[in-house]
Amino acid sequence: MDISNSIRLAKRNILVNTDPGTLVFLLMMPTLYLVFMGYMFGSLIGGIAVGSSKIAYMNFLSPGIVSFQTLTAGAVAGGMLWSDRRYGMFEQILSCPYSRAEYLLGIMFTTIALAIFGAIIMIIISSLLIGGITFGLAGLGIIMLNLIVGSIFWGAFLLALAAISKSNQMYNSIQVIILFFASFASTVFYPISGSTPAALRYTVALNPLTYIADTVRDGYISLFNGSLIVDELILLFATIVMFMIALLSYRTIKIGVK
Amino acid sequence: MDSDRVVDVEDLRFTYGSGRYALDGISFGISKGEVFGFLGRNGAGKTTTIKVLTTLARPASGKATVLGHDVRHGGKALRSKIGVVLQEESFDFTTVEKSLDIYGVMWRIQKKERERKIEELLSFFELEDARKKRMWDLSGGQKRRVQVAREFMHDMELLFLDEPTVGLDTITRRKILDMVNEKTKDGLTVFFTTHNLEEADYICDRIAIIDSGRILANDTVSALKRSYSGYKTVEASFSHDGADVDGMLASIPNIRIERPVNSGEPFKLIGPEAEETVKLIIEKSTKNGIRLEWLNIHPVTLEEVFLKAVGAAES
Repeated sequence: MDISNSIRLAKRNILVNTDPGTLVFLLMMPTLYLVFMGYMFGSLIGGIAVGSSKIAYMNFLSPGIVSFQTLTAGAVAGGMLWSDRRYGMFEQILSCPYSRAEYLLGIMFTTIALAIFGAIIMIIISSLLIGGITFGLAGLGIIMLNLIVGSIFWGAFLLALAAISKSNQMYNSIQVIILFFASFASTVFYPISGSTPAALRYTVALNPLTYIADTVRDGYISLFNGSLIVDELILLFATIVMFMIALLSYRTIKIGVK
Repeated sequence: MDSDRVVDVEDLRFTYGSGRYALDGISFGISKGEVFGFLGRNGAGKTTTIKVLTTLARPASGKATVLGHDVRHGGKALRSKIGVVLQEESFDFTTVEKSLDIYGVMWRIQKKERERKIEELLSFFELEDARKKRMWDLSGGQKRRVQVAREFMHDMELLFLDEPTVGLDTITRRKILDMVNEKTKDGLTVFFTTHNLEEADYICDRIAIIDSGRILANDTVSALKRSYSGYKTVEASFSHDGADVDGMLASIPNIRIERPVNSGEPFKLIGPEAEETVKLIIEKSTKNGIRLEWLNIHPVTLEEVFLKAVGAAES
């Protein structure tokens, strides 16, 4: 496998997919969440306990929205595979000197690039709303690591969905439900407390976005403890499993067969 | 294997898993610089053959090498030397110009060279006015032109064209065929599938006729015409006023005469020496005072060859 081929395909993906529609999807929705939820809930909630400290709601929401970028970037990735399949470019690219693995890696690189780009924009907007955000080098490292792992998870998840979807409508409908479910059944927007109904607590605990949001939040406030390591391990395990599932689904895409 | 051989296929089989072979033991070869036509009905196996030869589909058995690479293992090395215009629509959601540029990027063409090629191709395929249009705003014919043009963004040794002229007007179709012809002078080999037998006749050096996954005929265009139709047809109309046209035509040796069924239709004289028949018709009609109104040598068409080959296989 030639990594430079995957980078070339990632460049192609970005050139093809960075139309205004994609950018609105990638940036507008999280920005609206940040502004509306940040100000609306921020005025109602005094502060949220994270670790031993208590932080303002906007400071809680900002890392949540940054981690949310992994989900939106993953959705764009799945859309890329679907669109390439639907409009013949998947087969056309594979008739060029590119392997299936390079194509897959190209989409993963694109997802990571879009997630990091989206995260940077969200950090800038948050910083303007909060009045400055600072984090240490280790914190930045944790944020970057989890953005990368998180985008691989969601990229793989939505890629698998795109690989098995029989129609555009099917892919889009399921993707919207997943986006809605995964973002609200997580700790992106609010913390989980003892008073949260048990069913919801378990759902949130099973959602990888919870771990991405929690670890990014830990990176924001430089909270490095045992819980961070456990979260990282769970996230890594989930990502490896999801990547394997995506790989299997992706291999079932038959080309040249009508 | 012949050193000049670009494609070598031997007893190739492919199945979609239904138990029936979509390719049922086909064998053929293509030499360098040749335009090889693959003719067949819908579902005959033309596209499947292209997909196997371009490594997009894996054969069940048999042997196929393209530019020295086995299709089973050649993969990227094989595909780096070929161009493929697939039958199905394929496009990126971007403008015509950007679409060509991105394809050039994928083929590692340098920026300056890409810019030069884009201008050349937009002009040749008459897409200059559409350069800023998005692909989904184009007509079917324009999309097809972009798809063919895109493949010329990069150099290649062998070009697969799967029904490239479907939906194109006559002038554009002829331009594409002429461009392909021009490229073969520089050594490009072309594998060309089509339903349009006229264009196959125009462009192909050699033709294989495929039906139900089997090759029924494979030869040069002229040899196929000779072997399947045998004789040319001379068509002639006379203004006779009671003159003995039948008697005059009966005196011409080695021909079979088909008399006109309706008034206004010509006599059809079928035989091995059309030119000699024409000469005798002129001589004899002049001698017998029969006015020759119209005379034509009807060439054997590829359509006749195709219908006979498929008909023979069916019967």
